[in-house]
Amino acid sequence: MPFPTGTSRRRALAGALLALGLTVAASGCNSGANGGGAPDTIKIGLLASLSGTYEAVGTEIRDGFELYLKMHDNKLGGHKVELVVADEGNGAPTAVPAATKLIKQDRVHVLTGIVGGGSVAAVYPLLTEAKIPFVGSNGRPELKDVARIWTTSYLSDEPGEAIAEYVRDNVKGEVFAIGPDYQGGWDELRGFTDTFAKIGGRLANPDGKTLWTPFPATTNFTPYFAQIKASGAEAVYTFYAGGAAVDFVKQYAQSEISHLPLYAAGFLTEGGVLNAQGEAAKNIYSVLNYSPDLDNAENRSFVAAWKEDHDGSPTTYAMASYDAAAVLDKAIGAAGTNPTPEEINNAIAGLGQIDSPRGTWQFSPTTHSPVQKWYLRQVRQDGRALSNTVVGDLATVGG
Amino acid sequence: MTGYAARVTDAIDPYLIPALDGVAYGLLLFVAASGLVLCFGVANILNLAHGTLYAVGAYTVAALADGGWASLLLALAVGVVAGAGAGGLLAGLLAPVARRDHLTQALLTFGVALAGGALLVAAFGPDSLPVRIPAALEGTVEVAGHRYAAYRLGFIGVAMVIAVLLALAVTRTRAGMLVRAAVDDPEMVASLGVNPARIRIGVLCTAGALAGAAGVLGAPIIGPAPTTADTVLLLSLVVVVLGGLGSVRGTLLAALAVGEIQTLGVALAPTVAPFLLFAAMAAVLAVRARGLPGRGLRLRWGGTT
Repeated sequence: MPFPTGTSRRRALAGALLALGLTVAASGCNSGANGGGAPDTIKIGLLASLSGTYEAVGTEIRDGFELYLKMHDNKLGGHKVELVVADEGNGAPTAVPAATKLIKQDRVHVLTGIVGGGSVAAVYPLLTEAKIPFVGSNGRPELKDVARIWTTSYLSDEPGEAIAEYVRDNVKGEVFAIGPDYQGGWDELRGFTDTFAKIGGRLANPDGKTLWTPFPATTNFTPYFAQIKASGAEAVYTFYAGGAAVDFVKQYAQSEISHLPLYAAGFLTEGGVLNAQGEAAKNIYSVLNYSPDLDNAENRSFVAAWKEDHDGSPTTYAMASYDAAAVLDKAIGAAGTNPTPEEINNAIAGLGQIDSPRGTWQFSPTTHSPVQKWYLRQVRQDGRALSNTVVGDLATVGG
Repeated sequence: MTGYAARVTDAIDPYLIPALDGVAYGLLLFVAASGLVLCFGVANILNLAHGTLYAVGAYTVAALADGGWASLLLALAVGVVAGAGAGGLLAGLLAPVARRDHLTQALLTFGVALAGGALLVAAFGPDSLPVRIPAALEGTVEVAGHRYAAYRLGFIGVAMVIAVLLALAVTRTRAGMLVRAAVDDPEMVASLGVNPARIRIGVLCTAGALAGAAGVLGAPIIGPAPTTADTVLLLSLVVVVLGGLGSVRGTLLAALAVGEIQTLGVALAPTVAPFLLFAAMAAVLAVRARGLPGRGLRLRWGGTT
């Protein structure tokens, strides 16, 4: 074996120094926990997509949580909060190392955020191992054990479930169901088609099944619109989000079926996509658990505070993350001085009604997701901008 | 007899608009991919930053167009210049590795694409942006009893003009002849006193200008968003592979085929829609390793002739 050359020796030395630096940094982070006496700082880890495809949603989730802290003197339940933000990226491959860092190195008491359902599923074993609660504010896959998993947003099949009855009562004829071919699309559309069929609604789809479009490959929806025209449908129900929502809505407005009423899960016209869709989005009906024009005290102060730092109105993503902070505020306050993660988790279970910008809601004891009211919204002109205006209440769904 | 004719018309009718849309979509892909073909066929450079140049054009029109004709033309001019400039920049970056293999070029241009994409998101934000076009193009027009987007119909005309101009430029102008000569015999062109490096720069600038123009004109169809560059690059590469690497006519045929597969094909066989495009690509490659037949201009690329 040759004697180490100058370069390789230098490289080995650099590696050793790096390892040493990391060790020092890690131990530095760990010290200071459990000092006793005065309320300690509580460490909260927020994981959200701050880069990549879901950057827009991830940024809203971070900003919603930070806004709550800003409005409450950077305290939750009387404890000063140290918020550690990490980037989830595009999904599980980037989410897991980021979550590992938050849990193992930063030793957070609670984890919140997470945009993608796939990321939640991948991070789940880490949470179970570390026994810390997760108060998610967006994605939510099917999980066997939700003892430490809480969600402030919704389950994917609930929007469709909430709007089905309204569509049956207001459409004279059959409805065409179309959606993207992936887990999120299957859940969203199943919520609608199952409930719709159960209450006697009829689908216009030739085989009675939802038409699936390849995701994310589909950028041109014209051939699908031709099929909808041929089916003789009187209305369309759909779910798309992000870039696909922009393409779908813009092309729908210029298609042969532009005169058919379009009903959708709220994400079709929520947030930044509405700006890109412009006039094409006008009159679209959507169902969602939130709208910035809801008339209640919580929402008025939330929207006003949001607009101090942002150009547009807050989205449901920001609202759910704001509520995650509100949930932790109440739970940490109820869990006593210097609570352990386990005590915080037990306190969340006993919370009861939560006042929120969306109206009052509570966690379902079985699914740990909200039992909440859903709203029917329509895209209308609001001054110079378009906005999702609430036009009515739909069902209360959840659990 | 009339009953039979009516039945035939009824059977064809639902597929008219998808077929027409396939032409519009195919021509968009042709304009987008033609720059890539020039790069590959002439400069022998695999430019994976091509989709990013399209995105530059698309963001340009989103930033400049205000719904008037003048601003649309201004955006087209700025988009073309920006695309050409970016192409020139690429030529400069690629100069040191001009004689290296395609893998080196691919890595370099892919890095440029990633960095460029991040810069675009930093400058314009992570959301899809709206593109305001003149009101006359915003609406719909009646085509054989069907409604169809006016912009897409207009785009078909403009793209055909671009295709004809491009074919004429390559076959009839001195620059086009030099370019073809540089492909056939670079040493002979060099001995005539023309620097092949300058031809390469010219080709990359032209390719960039084409991508920029495609981005401006195509933005109402494939709009500016963080995913735009990837979508356009992928579809352009499919077109280049199907088109037989370096023939304008082959590229046009391939682009139209991809357009029809993506629209008419999906309308006819929705259940296999996810696989149609790549199944067609595999079939063409299996039958004819060099892509669809395309005569006329032949821009060969190094090593295969």
